[in-house]
Amino acid sequence: MIRRSASYAVLVAGLVPLLLPFYWMAVTSLKPKREIFTATPQWLPAHPAWDNYLLAWTAEPFARFFFNSAVVTALIVALQLVLASLAAFALSRFEFHGRRIIFWIIVAALIVPVQVTFIANFMTLAHFGLLNTYAALIAPYAASAFGTFLLRQAFAAVPRQLEDAARLDGCSGLAFLWHVLLPLSRPTVLAFALVAIVAHWNDYFWPLIVTNNNAVRTLPIGLGMFIGQEVTTDWNLLMAASIFVSAPMLLLFFFMQRYFVQSMLRTGIRG
Amino acid sequence: MMPPRVMAAARPYLYLTPTLAVLAAFTYFPIARLAEMSLRAPSVGTSLGPWIGLSAYAKLFANPLFWRVLGQTILFVFASVPIAMALALGLALLLDQPLRGLSVFRVLYYTPVVMPTVAVAALALWMFNANGGIVDYFLRSLGIAPVPWLVESKWALPTLILIAVWKNVGYYMIIYLAGLQSLPRAVLDAARLDGARPIMRFFTITLPLLRPTTFFITVVALIGSFQVFDFVNLMTQGGPSNATNVLVYFAYQNGFEYLQLGMAAAISLIMFALVLGILGLVAGALNR
Repeated sequence: MIRRSASYAVLVAGLVPLLLPFYWMAVTSLKPKREIFTATPQWLPAHPAWDNYLLAWTAEPFARFFFNSAVVTALIVALQLVLASLAAFALSRFEFHGRRIIFWIIVAALIVPVQVTFIANFMTLAHFGLLNTYAALIAPYAASAFGTFLLRQAFAAVPRQLEDAARLDGCSGLAFLWHVLLPLSRPTVLAFALVAIVAHWNDYFWPLIVTNNNAVRTLPIGLGMFIGQEVTTDWNLLMAASIFVSAPMLLLFFFMQRYFVQSMLRTGIRG
Repeated sequence: MMPPRVMAAARPYLYLTPTLAVLAAFTYFPIARLAEMSLRAPSVGTSLGPWIGLSAYAKLFANPLFWRVLGQTILFVFASVPIAMALALGLALLLDQPLRGLSVFRVLYYTPVVMPTVAVAALALWMFNANGGIVDYFLRSLGIAPVPWLVESKWALPTLILIAVWKNVGYYMIIYLAGLQSLPRAVLDAARLDGARPIMRFFTITLPLLRPTTFFITVVALIGSFQVFDFVNLMTQGGPSNATNVLVYFAYQNGFEYLQLGMAAAISLIMFALVLGILGLVAGALNR
Protein backbone atom coordinates (compact mmCIF):
# COMPACT_ATOMS: atom_id res chain seq x y z
CA MET A 1 0.00 0.00 0.00
CA ILE A 2 2.74 2.44 0.99
CA ARG A 3 4.83 1.34 -1.95
CA ARG A 4 1.94 1.91 -4.27
CA SER A 5 1.27 5.45 -3.06
CA ALA A 6 4.99 6.17 -3.19
CA SER A 7 5.13 5.02 -6.80
CA TYR A 8 2.24 7.26 -7.78
CA ALA A 9 3.74 10.17 -5.86
CA VAL A 10 7.07 9.88 -7.68
CA LEU A 11 5.40 9.49 -11.07
CA VAL A 12 3.17 12.50 -10.50
CA ALA A 13 6.08 14.58 -9.21
CA GLY A 14 7.99 13.68 -12.37
CA LEU A 15 5.17 15.07 -14.47
CA VAL A 16 5.77 18.59 -13.20
CA PRO A 17 9.06 19.24 -15.03
CA LEU A 18 7.68 17.23 -17.91
CA LEU A 19 4.33 18.92 -18.47
CA LEU A 20 4.87 22.39 -17.05
CA PRO A 21 6.84 23.45 -20.16
CA PHE A 22 3.93 22.38 -22.38
CA TYR A 23 1.53 24.34 -20.20
CA TRP A 24 3.77 27.39 -20.23
CA MET A 25 4.05 27.18 -24.01
CA ALA A 26 0.26 27.10 -24.40
CA VAL A 27 -0.38 29.90 -21.91
CA THR A 28 2.29 32.16 -23.37
CA SER A 29 0.91 31.61 -26.86
CA LEU A 30 -2.40 33.16 -25.76
CA LYS A 31 -1.06 36.19 -23.93
CA PRO A 32 -1.30 39.70 -25.28
CA LYS A 33 2.11 41.36 -25.43
CA ARG A 34 1.75 43.31 -22.18
CA GLU A 35 1.09 40.12 -20.19
CA ILE A 36 4.26 38.32 -21.28
CA PHE A 37 6.72 39.96 -18.93
CA THR A 38 5.24 40.17 -15.46
CA ALA A 39 6.92 40.25 -12.05
CA THR A 40 5.16 37.05 -11.03
CA PRO A 41 4.20 34.53 -13.67
CA GLN A 42 0.65 34.93 -14.88
CA TRP A 43 -0.72 31.39 -15.00
CA LEU A 44 -3.72 32.27 -17.13
CA PRO A 45 -3.94 35.02 -19.72
CA ALA A 46 -6.27 37.77 -18.44
CA HIS A 47 -7.28 38.64 -21.99
CA PRO A 48 -6.64 35.61 -24.23
CA ALA A 49 -5.27 36.85 -27.54
CA TRP A 50 -6.41 34.20 -29.98
CA ASP A 51 -5.27 36.24 -32.92
CA ASN A 52 -1.67 35.55 -31.86
CA TYR A 53 -2.03 32.38 -33.90
CA LEU A 54 -3.10 34.30 -36.99
CA LEU A 55 -0.31 36.85 -36.49
CA ALA A 56 2.27 34.09 -36.12
CA TRP A 57 0.89 32.14 -39.07
CA THR A 58 1.26 35.13 -41.36
CA ALA A 59 4.58 36.39 -39.95
CA GLU A 60 6.36 33.90 -42.21
CA PRO A 61 4.96 32.00 -45.21
CA PHE A 62 3.98 29.19 -42.86
CA ALA A 63 1.21 27.96 -45.16
CA ARG A 64 3.84 27.30 -47.81
CA PHE A 65 6.16 25.62 -45.26
CA PHE A 66 3.29 23.49 -44.03
CA PHE A 67 2.54 22.34 -47.56
CA ASN A 68 6.22 21.59 -48.21
CA SER A 69 6.53 19.60 -44.99
CA ALA A 70 3.44 17.58 -45.83
CA VAL A 71 4.61 16.79 -49.36
CA VAL A 72 8.16 15.94 -48.36
CA THR A 73 7.15 13.81 -45.38
CA ALA A 74 4.49 11.94 -47.37
CA LEU A 75 6.83 11.20 -50.27
CA ILE A 76 9.70 10.10 -48.02
CA VAL A 77 7.52 7.74 -46.02
CA ALA A 78 5.82 6.33 -49.14
CA LEU A 79 9.16 5.70 -50.83
CA GLN A 80 10.61 4.14 -47.69
CA LEU A 81 7.68 1.79 -47.39
CA VAL A 82 7.90 0.67 -51.02
CA LEU A 83 11.66 0.26 -51.11
CA ALA A 84 11.84 -1.37 -47.69
CA SER A 85 9.03 -3.82 -48.56
CA LEU A 86 10.80 -4.92 -51.73
CA ALA A 87 14.19 -5.27 -50.05
CA ALA A 88 12.73 -7.02 -47.02
CA PHE A 89 10.81 -9.36 -49.31
CA ALA A 90 14.05 -10.36 -51.06
CA LEU A 91 15.95 -10.78 -47.78
CA SER A 92 13.26 -12.80 -46.02
CA ARG A 93 11.74 -15.07 -48.69
CA PHE A 94 14.52 -15.81 -51.21
CA GLU A 95 17.71 -17.86 -51.12
CA PHE A 96 20.44 -16.21 -53.13
CA HIS A 97 24.14 -15.53 -53.28
CA GLY A 98 25.32 -12.74 -51.01
CA ARG A 99 22.15 -12.55 -48.94
CA ARG A 100 23.95 -12.31 -45.61
CA ILE A 101 26.42 -9.73 -46.85
CA ILE A 102 23.71 -7.59 -48.40
CA PHE A 103 21.74 -7.77 -45.18
CA TRP A 104 24.72 -6.51 -43.19
CA ILE A 105 25.51 -3.81 -45.74
CA ILE A 106 21.99 -2.48 -45.23
CA VAL A 107 22.00 -2.76 -41.44
CA ALA A 108 25.44 -1.13 -41.14
CA ALA A 109 23.98 2.01 -42.74
CA LEU A 110 22.26 2.60 -39.38
CA ILE A 111 25.53 3.78 -37.86
CA VAL A 112 26.19 6.37 -40.58
CA PRO A 113 23.96 9.33 -39.74
CA VAL A 114 23.32 12.22 -42.10
CA GLN A 115 25.17 14.38 -39.56
CA VAL A 116 28.35 12.63 -40.78
CA THR A 117 27.67 12.57 -44.51
CA PHE A 118 25.99 15.95 -45.00
CA ILE A 119 28.95 17.80 -46.51
CA ALA A 120 29.56 15.14 -49.15
CA ASN A 121 25.85 14.86 -49.94
CA PHE A 122 25.57 18.61 -50.16
CA MET A 123 28.42 18.64 -52.71
CA THR A 124 26.81 15.85 -54.76
CA LEU A 125 23.42 17.56 -54.87
CA ALA A 126 25.02 20.92 -55.67
CA HIS A 127 26.93 19.24 -58.49
CA PHE A 128 23.66 18.09 -60.05
CA GLY A 129 22.01 21.47 -59.48
CA LEU A 130 19.50 19.93 -57.07
CA LEU A 131 19.81 22.27 -54.08
CA ASN A 132 16.50 23.89 -53.16
CA THR A 133 14.41 21.10 -54.68
CA TYR A 134 12.04 18.55 -53.20
CA ALA A 135 14.35 15.94 -54.73
CA ALA A 136 17.22 17.07 -52.50
CA LEU A 137 14.99 16.89 -49.42
CA ILE A 138 13.70 13.43 -50.29
CA ALA A 139 16.35 11.43 -52.17
CA PRO A 140 18.79 10.73 -49.31
CA TYR A 141 15.92 9.32 -47.25
CA ALA A 142 14.23 7.31 -50.02
CA ALA A 143 15.58 4.07 -48.57
CA SER A 144 15.47 3.20 -44.88
CA ALA A 145 17.88 0.71 -43.42
CA PHE A 146 15.74 0.63 -40.35
CA GLY A 147 12.48 0.00 -42.16
CA THR A 148 14.13 -2.74 -44.21
CA PHE A 149 15.37 -4.41 -41.05
CA LEU A 150 11.99 -4.21 -39.29
CA LEU A 151 10.01 -5.48 -42.25
CA ARG A 152 12.48 -8.28 -42.84
CA GLN A 153 11.92 -9.48 -39.27
CA ALA A 154 8.15 -9.30 -39.73
CA PHE A 155 8.16 -11.05 -43.12
CA ALA A 156 10.49 -13.78 -41.89
CA ALA A 157 7.96 -14.63 -39.17
CA VAL A 158 5.33 -15.59 -41.76
CA PRO A 159 5.35 -19.41 -41.99
CA ARG A 160 6.65 -21.19 -45.06
CA GLN A 161 3.45 -23.25 -45.40
CA LEU A 162 1.46 -20.10 -46.00
CA GLU A 163 3.72 -19.25 -48.89
CA ASP A 164 3.27 -22.73 -50.39
CA ALA A 165 -0.49 -22.54 -49.98
CA ALA A 166 -0.59 -19.11 -51.57
CA ARG A 167 1.48 -20.34 -54.48
CA LEU A 168 -0.96 -23.20 -55.09
CA ASP A 169 -3.68 -20.57 -55.26
CA GLY A 170 -1.66 -18.77 -57.92
CA CYS A 171 -0.47 -16.03 -55.58
CA SER A 172 3.30 -15.70 -55.84
CA GLY A 173 6.00 -13.08 -56.22
CA LEU A 174 4.86 -9.51 -55.72
CA ALA A 175 1.24 -10.62 -55.38
CA PHE A 176 2.29 -12.67 -52.35
CA LEU A 177 4.09 -9.62 -50.91
CA TRP A 178 1.06 -7.40 -51.45
CA HIS A 179 -1.76 -9.79 -50.53
CA VAL A 180 -0.16 -11.84 -47.77
CA LEU A 181 3.09 -10.51 -46.30
CA LEU A 182 2.14 -6.84 -45.97
CA PRO A 183 -1.36 -7.39 -44.51
CA LEU A 184 0.08 -9.91 -42.02
CA SER A 185 2.77 -7.40 -41.01
CA ARG A 186 0.35 -4.52 -40.53
CA PRO A 187 1.42 -3.64 -36.96
CA THR A 188 5.07 -3.41 -38.00
CA VAL A 189 4.25 -1.43 -41.15
CA LEU A 190 2.08 0.97 -39.17
CA ALA A 191 4.62 1.37 -36.38
CA PHE A 192 7.42 2.07 -38.82
CA ALA A 193 5.29 4.52 -40.82
CA LEU A 194 4.38 6.48 -37.68
CA VAL A 195 7.96 6.69 -36.54
CA ALA A 196 9.12 7.76 -40.00
CA ILE A 197 6.41 10.44 -40.24
CA VAL A 198 7.47 11.96 -36.91
CA ALA A 199 11.17 11.78 -37.76
CA HIS A 200 10.82 13.52 -41.11
CA TRP A 201 8.18 16.05 -40.13
CA ASN A 202 10.45 17.15 -37.29
CA ASP A 203 13.72 16.99 -39.22
CA TYR A 204 15.60 20.26 -38.97
CA PHE A 205 19.12 19.32 -39.94
CA TRP A 206 18.92 18.11 -43.52
CA PRO A 207 16.45 20.74 -44.82
CA LEU A 208 18.75 23.36 -43.27
CA ILE A 209 21.63 22.06 -45.39
CA VAL A 210 19.88 21.90 -48.76
CA THR A 211 17.35 24.76 -48.72
CA ASN A 212 17.69 28.53 -48.58
CA ASN A 213 14.55 29.45 -50.45
CA ASN A 214 11.02 29.82 -49.06
CA ALA A 215 9.53 27.88 -51.97
CA VAL A 216 10.97 24.61 -50.63
CA ARG A 217 11.63 25.33 -46.95
CA THR A 218 9.86 23.09 -44.45
CA LEU A 219 8.13 23.97 -41.17
CA PRO A 220 11.07 23.36 -38.82
CA ILE A 221 13.20 25.68 -40.95
CA GLY A 222 10.45 28.29 -40.92
CA LEU A 223 10.17 28.07 -37.15
CA GLY A 224 13.95 28.25 -36.85
CA MET A 225 13.93 31.48 -38.88
CA PHE A 226 11.17 32.79 -36.66
CA ILE A 227 13.29 32.05 -33.58
CA GLY A 228 16.10 34.08 -35.12
CA GLN A 229 13.83 37.08 -35.59
CA GLU A 230 11.50 37.04 -32.62
CA VAL A 231 13.85 35.93 -29.94
CA THR A 232 13.91 39.24 -28.08
CA THR A 233 10.29 40.04 -27.29
CA ASP A 234 7.44 38.34 -29.10
CA TRP A 235 7.44 35.11 -27.12
CA ASN A 236 3.67 34.82 -27.47
CA LEU A 237 3.92 34.61 -31.27
CA LEU A 238 6.91 32.27 -31.13
CA MET A 239 5.05 29.92 -28.77
CA ALA A 240 1.97 30.03 -31.02
CA ALA A 241 4.13 29.10 -34.01
CA SER A 242 5.83 26.32 -32.01
CA ILE A 243 2.42 24.93 -31.21
CA PHE A 244 1.11 24.81 -34.76
CA VAL A 245 4.38 23.28 -35.96
CA SER A 246 4.21 20.56 -33.28
CA ALA A 247 0.44 20.06 -33.30
CA PRO A 248 0.20 17.56 -36.17
CA MET A 249 2.71 15.25 -34.48
CA LEU A 250 1.16 15.64 -31.03
CA LEU A 251 -2.29 14.85 -32.46
CA LEU A 252 -0.93 11.90 -34.40
CA PHE A 253 0.75 10.66 -31.24
CA PHE A 254 -2.26 11.01 -28.98
CA PHE A 255 -4.63 9.35 -31.43
CA MET A 256 -2.21 6.58 -32.38
CA GLN A 257 -0.36 6.30 -29.05
CA ARG A 258 -1.35 2.66 -28.72
CA TYR A 259 0.59 1.87 -31.90
CA PHE A 260 3.51 4.13 -30.97
CA VAL A 261 3.94 2.62 -27.55
CA GLN A 262 3.36 -0.92 -28.79
CA SER A 263 5.86 -0.46 -31.56
CA MET A 264 8.40 0.87 -29.07
CA LEU A 265 7.68 -2.05 -26.81
CA ARG A 266 8.23 -4.43 -29.67
CA THR A 267 11.18 -2.88 -31.41
CA GLY A 268 12.47 0.13 -29.54
CA ILE A 269 12.41 2.36 -32.57
CA ARG A 270 12.76 6.06 -32.53
CA GLY A 271 9.91 8.57 -32.73
CA MET B 1 13.91 -11.70 -73.35
CA MET B 2 15.70 -13.60 -70.60
CA PRO B 3 14.84 -17.23 -69.98
CA PRO B 4 12.47 -17.65 -67.01
CA ARG B 5 15.07 -19.42 -64.81
CA VAL B 6 17.46 -16.48 -65.08
CA MET B 7 14.60 -14.09 -64.41
CA ALA B 8 13.69 -15.97 -61.25
CA ALA B 9 17.28 -15.96 -60.02
CA ALA B 10 17.58 -12.24 -60.68
CA ARG B 11 14.42 -11.32 -58.81
CA PRO B 12 15.76 -10.83 -55.28
CA TYR B 13 18.59 -8.68 -56.64
CA LEU B 14 16.04 -6.65 -58.56
CA TYR B 15 14.02 -6.05 -55.38
CA LEU B 16 17.14 -5.03 -53.48
CA THR B 17 18.48 -2.68 -56.13
CA PRO B 18 16.55 0.50 -55.23
CA THR B 19 17.47 0.27 -51.53
CA LEU B 20 21.10 -0.56 -52.24
CA ALA B 21 21.34 2.21 -54.84
CA VAL B 22 20.06 4.86 -52.41
CA LEU B 23 22.32 3.64 -49.59
CA ALA B 24 25.30 3.49 -51.93
CA ALA B 25 24.69 7.02 -53.23
CA PHE B 26 23.83 8.77 -49.95
CA THR B 27 25.43 6.70 -47.19
CA TYR B 28 28.46 4.76 -48.39
CA PHE B 29 29.76 6.79 -51.31
CA PRO B 30 29.74 9.97 -49.13
CA ILE B 31 32.19 8.39 -46.68
CA ALA B 32 34.69 7.84 -49.47
CA ARG B 33 33.89 11.29 -50.78
CA LEU B 34 34.53 12.85 -47.35
CA ALA B 35 37.91 11.15 -47.25
CA GLU B 36 38.74 12.52 -50.68
CA MET B 37 37.49 16.01 -49.80
CA SER B 38 39.55 16.06 -46.63
CA LEU B 39 42.71 15.42 -48.68
CA ARG B 40 41.95 18.09 -51.27
CA ALA B 41 41.00 21.75 -51.15
CA PRO B 42 37.42 21.68 -52.44
CA SER B 43 35.45 24.84 -53.06
CA VAL B 44 31.73 25.44 -53.18
CA GLY B 45 30.38 24.71 -56.61
CA THR B 46 31.78 21.75 -58.43
CA SER B 47 35.53 21.92 -58.03
CA LEU B 48 37.22 19.41 -55.73
CA GLY B 49 40.48 21.32 -55.96
CA PRO B 50 44.09 20.14 -55.87
CA TRP B 51 45.32 17.32 -53.63
CA ILE B 52 46.88 18.78 -50.50
CA GLY B 53 47.60 15.63 -48.51
CA LEU B 54 46.99 15.64 -44.78
CA SER B 55 47.26 19.36 -44.25
CA ALA B 56 43.60 19.75 -43.26
CA TYR B 57 44.17 17.22 -40.46
CA ALA B 58 47.45 18.87 -39.46
CA LYS B 59 45.75 22.26 -39.22
CA LEU B 60 42.88 20.79 -37.28
CA PHE B 61 45.07 19.03 -34.75
CA ALA B 62 47.07 22.21 -34.27
CA ASN B 63 43.91 24.20 -33.58
CA PRO B 64 43.13 24.36 -29.84
CA LEU B 65 39.48 25.07 -30.66
CA PHE B 66 39.17 21.66 -32.32
CA TRP B 67 40.31 19.92 -29.15
CA ARG B 68 37.95 22.02 -27.08
CA VAL B 69 35.02 21.19 -29.38
CA LEU B 70 35.95 17.51 -29.23
CA GLY B 71 36.08 17.62 -25.43
CA GLN B 72 32.74 19.43 -25.20
CA THR B 73 31.10 16.91 -27.51
CA ILE B 74 32.37 14.03 -25.37
CA LEU B 75 31.26 15.83 -22.23
CA PHE B 76 27.79 16.39 -23.70
CA VAL B 77 27.47 12.73 -24.69
CA PHE B 78 28.86 11.24 -21.49
CA ALA B 79 26.77 13.50 -19.29
CA SER B 80 23.44 13.42 -21.12
CA VAL B 81 23.39 9.70 -21.97
CA PRO B 82 23.97 8.25 -18.46
CA ILE B 83 21.69 10.81 -16.79
CA ALA B 84 18.86 10.17 -19.22
CA MET B 85 19.36 6.39 -19.04
CA ALA B 86 19.36 6.32 -15.24
CA LEU B 87 16.19 8.42 -15.07
CA ALA B 88 14.61 6.28 -17.78
CA LEU B 89 15.40 3.07 -15.92
CA GLY B 90 13.95 4.51 -12.70
CA LEU B 91 10.74 5.50 -14.45
CA ALA B 92 10.52 2.16 -16.25
CA LEU B 93 10.83 0.31 -12.92
CA LEU B 94 8.01 2.40 -11.48
CA LEU B 95 5.85 1.80 -14.54
CA ASP B 96 6.55 -1.94 -14.59
CA GLN B 97 4.16 -2.60 -11.73
CA PRO B 98 0.64 -4.00 -11.76
CA LEU B 99 -0.88 -0.64 -10.86
CA ARG B 100 -3.90 1.11 -12.23
CA GLY B 101 -3.51 4.04 -14.63
CA LEU B 102 0.16 3.55 -15.42
CA SER B 103 -0.47 3.61 -19.18
CA VAL B 104 -1.39 7.29 -18.85
CA PHE B 105 2.04 8.04 -17.38
CA ARG B 106 3.65 5.99 -20.11
CA VAL B 107 2.04 8.17 -22.77
CA LEU B 108 2.73 11.47 -20.99
CA TYR B 109 6.39 10.69 -20.35
CA TYR B 110 6.79 9.84 -24.01
CA THR B 111 5.33 13.12 -25.33
CA PRO B 112 8.60 15.14 -25.55
CA VAL B 113 10.01 12.47 -27.87
CA VAL B 114 7.53 13.33 -30.65
CA MET B 115 8.10 17.09 -30.32
CA PRO B 116 10.17 18.78 -33.05
CA THR B 117 13.57 19.86 -31.70
CA VAL B 118 12.89 23.33 -33.09
CA ALA B 119 9.78 23.75 -30.93
CA VAL B 120 11.66 22.45 -27.89
CA ALA B 121 14.45 24.93 -28.59
CA ALA B 122 11.98 27.83 -28.88
CA LEU B 123 10.30 26.84 -25.62
CA ALA B 124 13.60 26.37 -23.80
CA LEU B 125 14.86 29.75 -25.01
CA TRP B 126 11.81 31.33 -23.44
CA MET B 127 11.84 29.35 -20.19
CA PHE B 128 15.57 29.81 -19.59
CA ASN B 129 15.55 33.42 -20.77
CA ALA B 130 17.44 35.88 -18.60
CA ASN B 131 14.64 38.39 -19.11
CA GLY B 132 11.35 37.01 -17.81
CA GLY B 133 12.20 33.30 -17.98
CA ILE B 134 10.09 31.18 -15.68
CA VAL B 135 12.97 28.96 -14.52
CA ASP B 136 14.69 31.90 -12.86
CA TYR B 137 11.39 32.86 -11.25
CA PHE B 138 11.19 29.42 -9.61
CA LEU B 139 14.77 29.73 -8.41
CA ARG B 140 14.08 33.16 -6.94
CA SER B 141 10.98 31.93 -5.15
CA LEU B 142 13.18 29.22 -3.59
CA GLY B 143 15.61 31.93 -2.53
CA ILE B 144 18.22 31.00 -5.15
CA ALA B 145 19.88 33.63 -7.31
CA PRO B 146 18.99 33.50 -11.02
CA VAL B 147 21.38 31.45 -13.14
CA PRO B 148 22.84 32.88 -16.38
CA TRP B 149 21.72 29.73 -18.21
CA LEU B 150 22.64 30.40 -21.79
CA VAL B 151 24.59 33.58 -21.21
CA GLU B 152 27.59 32.34 -19.28
CA SER B 153 30.11 29.84 -20.64
CA LYS B 154 30.13 27.44 -17.72
CA TRP B 155 26.31 27.17 -17.65
CA ALA B 156 25.48 26.96 -21.34
CA LEU B 157 26.53 23.36 -22.02
CA PRO B 158 24.87 21.99 -18.85
CA THR B 159 21.67 23.78 -19.92
CA LEU B 160 21.76 22.03 -23.29
CA ILE B 161 22.41 18.72 -21.53
CA LEU B 162 19.37 19.29 -19.34
CA ILE B 163 17.19 20.00 -22.39
CA ALA B 164 18.48 16.93 -24.24
CA VAL B 165 17.73 14.76 -21.20
CA TRP B 166 14.19 16.16 -21.02
CA LYS B 167 13.65 15.39 -24.71
CA ASN B 168 15.07 11.83 -24.70
CA VAL B 169 14.25 10.30 -21.35
CA GLY B 170 10.82 9.04 -22.48
CA TYR B 171 12.33 7.20 -25.40
CA TYR B 172 14.83 5.26 -23.31
CA MET B 173 12.13 4.68 -20.71
CA ILE B 174 9.89 2.90 -23.19
CA ILE B 175 12.71 0.64 -24.35
CA TYR B 176 13.65 -0.17 -20.75
CA LEU B 177 10.02 -0.93 -20.06
CA ALA B 178 9.97 -3.32 -23.00
CA GLY B 179 13.10 -4.97 -21.62
CA LEU B 180 11.62 -5.27 -18.14
CA GLN B 181 8.40 -6.77 -19.45
CA SER B 182 10.29 -9.46 -21.32
CA LEU B 183 12.27 -10.64 -18.26
CA PRO B 184 11.47 -14.17 -17.07
CA ARG B 185 8.89 -13.69 -14.30
CA ALA B 186 9.80 -17.02 -12.71
CA VAL B 187 13.33 -15.88 -11.86
CA LEU B 188 12.11 -12.61 -10.33
CA ASP B 189 9.39 -14.39 -8.33
CA ALA B 190 11.82 -16.99 -7.05
CA ALA B 191 14.12 -14.24 -5.79
CA ARG B 192 11.23 -12.54 -4.06
CA LEU B 193 10.16 -15.78 -2.39
CA ASP B 194 13.73 -16.32 -1.23
CA GLY B 195 13.31 -13.05 0.63
CA ALA B 196 15.92 -11.08 -1.27
CA ARG B 197 15.52 -7.39 -0.55
CA PRO B 198 14.27 -5.21 -3.44
CA ILE B 199 17.60 -3.40 -3.80
CA MET B 200 19.52 -6.69 -3.79
CA ARG B 201 17.11 -8.12 -6.33
CA PHE B 202 17.58 -5.12 -8.58
CA PHE B 203 21.38 -5.24 -8.60
CA THR B 204 21.89 -8.99 -8.66
CA ILE B 205 19.03 -10.07 -10.91
CA THR B 206 17.11 -7.35 -12.77
CA LEU B 207 20.07 -5.25 -13.90
CA PRO B 208 22.18 -8.17 -15.20
CA LEU B 209 19.16 -9.60 -17.02
CA LEU B 210 18.57 -6.21 -18.61
CA ARG B 211 22.03 -6.09 -20.14
CA PRO B 212 20.90 -6.58 -23.77
CA THR B 213 18.41 -3.73 -23.34
CA THR B 214 21.03 -1.50 -21.74
CA PHE B 215 23.39 -2.32 -24.59
CA PHE B 216 20.79 -1.45 -27.21
CA ILE B 217 19.86 1.86 -25.56
CA THR B 218 23.51 2.77 -25.06
CA VAL B 219 24.26 2.27 -28.76
CA VAL B 220 21.22 4.23 -29.93
CA ALA B 221 21.79 7.00 -27.38
CA LEU B 222 25.50 7.36 -28.17
CA ILE B 223 24.91 7.61 -31.91
CA GLY B 224 22.04 10.04 -31.34
CA SER B 225 23.90 12.24 -28.87
CA PHE B 226 27.05 12.62 -30.96
CA GLN B 227 24.78 14.09 -33.63
CA VAL B 228 23.68 16.96 -31.38
CA PHE B 229 23.27 20.02 -33.57
CA ASP B 230 19.73 21.41 -33.54
CA PHE B 231 19.77 22.83 -30.00
CA VAL B 232 23.23 24.30 -30.53
CA ASN B 233 22.35 25.96 -33.82
CA LEU B 234 18.99 27.25 -32.61
CA MET B 235 19.84 28.27 -29.06
CA THR B 236 23.49 29.22 -28.76
CA GLN B 237 25.17 29.14 -32.19
CA GLY B 238 27.98 27.36 -30.41
CA GLY B 239 28.44 30.20 -27.95
CA PRO B 240 28.98 31.95 -25.67
CA SER B 241 32.55 32.07 -27.01
CA ASN B 242 32.40 28.48 -28.30
CA ALA B 243 31.33 27.01 -24.96
CA THR B 244 28.65 24.91 -26.65
CA ASN B 245 30.42 24.24 -29.93
CA VAL B 246 30.23 20.53 -30.77
CA LEU B 247 31.62 18.44 -33.63
CA VAL B 248 28.64 18.52 -36.01
CA TYR B 249 28.20 22.23 -35.47
CA PHE B 250 31.94 22.80 -35.90
CA ALA B 251 31.87 20.88 -39.19
CA TYR B 252 28.81 22.86 -40.29
CA GLN B 253 30.51 26.14 -39.39
CA ASN B 254 33.68 25.24 -41.22
CA GLY B 255 31.79 24.08 -44.28
CA PHE B 256 29.05 26.65 -44.63
CA GLU B 257 30.28 29.73 -42.77
CA TYR B 258 34.02 29.65 -43.41
CA LEU B 259 33.66 27.68 -46.68
CA GLN B 260 36.45 25.34 -45.56
CA LEU B 261 34.85 22.24 -47.03
CA GLY B 262 37.97 20.08 -46.76
CA MET B 263 38.27 20.95 -43.08
CA ALA B 264 34.57 20.23 -42.56
CA ALA B 265 34.97 16.83 -44.24
CA ALA B 266 37.92 16.01 -41.98
CA ILE B 267 35.91 16.92 -38.87
CA SER B 268 32.99 14.73 -40.00
CA LEU B 269 35.28 11.78 -40.64
CA ILE B 270 36.99 12.16 -37.28
CA MET B 271 33.62 12.20 -35.58
CA PHE B 272 32.55 9.09 -37.46
CA ALA B 273 35.74 7.28 -36.45
CA LEU B 274 35.21 8.38 -32.85
CA VAL B 275 31.65 7.06 -32.77
CA LEU B 276 32.76 3.75 -34.30
CA GLY B 277 35.56 3.45 -31.75
CA ILE B 278 33.29 4.17 -28.80
CA LEU B 279 30.65 1.77 -30.10
CA GLY B 280 33.36 -0.88 -30.34
CA LEU B 281 34.38 -0.26 -26.72
CA VAL B 282 30.77 -0.37 -25.53
CA ALA B 283 30.15 -3.57 -27.46
CA GLY B 284 33.24 -5.09 -25.86
CA ALA B 285 32.23 -4.03 -22.38
CA LEU B 286 28.51 -4.76 -22.41
CA ASN B 287 27.88 -7.42 -25.01
CA ARG B 288 30.07 -10.28 -23.84
